[in-house]
Amino acid sequence: MKVYAYGIINSNPEGIVLPIPFKEGTNSGMDEPLSGLGEASVYNIPYRDIAVIVSELSDEAKEKTDTYILEHERIVERLMESFTVLPMRFLTVFNTKEDLLGMAELYYEDFKDNLARLYNKVEFGMKVIWPADTIKQRIVDVYHKPEGDGLASYSQSHKTKHNVSISTESPAKTFVKEKFQEHIIEKEFQEEANRCIQVVDDYFNRIACEKKLKRLQTESLLLNASYLVDKDRQNEFKQAFEQLKNAPSDLKFLFSGPWPCYNFINLTKKPSSVDYFNTEDMLNRLLAQQGFAQERNSV
Amino acid sequence: MTMNRTIETDSQEAFIEEIEKVQDVLPKRIDANSKNVEKGLAKLVLTLVELIRKLLEKQAMRRIEGGSLSEEEIEGIGETLMKLENKMKELKEIFGLKDEELNLNLGPLGDLM
Repeated sequence: MKVYAYGIINSNPEGIVLPIPFKEGTNSGMDEPLSGLGEASVYNIPYRDIAVIVSELSDEAKEKTDTYILEHERIVERLMESFTVLPMRFLTVFNTKEDLLGMAELYYEDFKDNLARLYNKVEFGMKVIWPADTIKQRIVDVYHKPEGDGLASYSQSHKTKHNVSISTESPAKTFVKEKFQEHIIEKEFQEEANRCIQVVDDYFNRIACEKKLKRLQTESLLLNASYLVDKDRQNEFKQAFEQLKNAPSDLKFLFSGPWPCYNFINLTKKPSSVDYFNTEDMLNRLLAQQGFAQERNSV
Repeated sequence: MTMNRTIETDSQEAFIEEIEKVQDVLPKRIDANSKNVEKGLAKLVLTLVELIRKLLEKQAMRRIEGGSLSEEEIEGIGETLMKLENKMKELKEIFGLKDEELNLNLGPLGDLM
C-alpha cells in the first residue's frame, strides 16, 4: 500500500505508532481521529523523535488526487493547531513505508533544525501588481523627451547617465541603436521595480523573521513575497498591510495568511531527484482554488 | 477555516491572471516521446543558443554604455547581432517554437531566462 505524506512533526521519543498523532509535548493523542485523502485515516510513522504524518492511498483515490489539494491543506492546518509542522509538497507519495523511513533518515538533522526554526511561526503571502505598461511608457517618454522639458531634472540625469550617441548611418548601427534604447529602458524599468519593491518591503521587513522575495515573475507581477512571522506578531503584520493598503499608490495587492510555512523549509542536504518540499506553487494553487472561493463566500 | 485567515485583494481577476501566467511558466520540461523528440531537442538547443545570444547582446550593450567601443566595433557588433537574431527567427519558425517556449525550468533555481 502506498503512503501519502502530509507533513513532519516532532513526536514522542518512544516512537510508538499510534492510529492518531500525538499532541506535541504530551502523550495524548489529538482530540479526534483525522481522516485524510479518500477518507483514509491519518496516522504517524515515527522515526527517532520525529514523525511523518501519513494516510494510505488506495488506487482509486490516486486518480482523484488533483482535487485533493484542499484536503491536504486541511490536514496540515489541523496539525498546525497542535504542532510545528513541516508541510510536505502536495502529492508526496511513498511506495512503501521503508522508502519513507529512508527519507526521514536522510534528512533527519535538517528536519530537526527546521522544526526548531519554524516553531511558533506562520507564513504570510504578499503579491503586488504594478501598472507595468504605464511605468514603461513613462520611461520611454522621458527617454525621448527633449531636455529642459517637463520632467527636466529626471530626464537630464537620465540622459547624462546614458549619454551615448550612436549614429544611424548603416542598418547595423540603427539596429544597435534600437537595441541600446531597449536596453536602457529595460534597465530603468528594473531599477524602478527595485525601488518600488523596497517601499513595499519596508512595511513588513521589521516584523518578519525571514522573507523570500520574488521579483517580476511576470512584467505586471512586481512582487511575490512570502514572509515568515512569529505567531504572536500576526496582528502587527496585518496592521502593516493595512497601512500599506491605505497609502496612496497605483499598486494592487493580494495579501493572505496565516499559512503553513510552505516556503521556509531549508534543506542543507542536497535534495535527491525527488523534491519533498518544493511547495512554492502551493500558495498559488490554494489561492486559486480555496482562497478566492473563500473570499467570494465572505463577501 | 480554523486559522482565522485573511485573504484580501482589491483586484481578484488581475491576480488570478498573473498567477496563471506564473504557473504556466513553472513546470516546463522537455517531453521526449518519439513523435516530438525532434522538437524537444530543437527546443533545448535553441534555448541554449538564445541564452548565449542574449548574453552577447547584454555584454555588447554594457560595453556601448561604458563607451569603450569604436564606431567600427559598433558596426561589427550590429552586424553580428542582427544576423544572429534573424537566424534565430528562422530556426524558431522552422521548429514551430515561440519565444516563451525557449526557457528551461531549473527547479529550485527558477527559470533559465
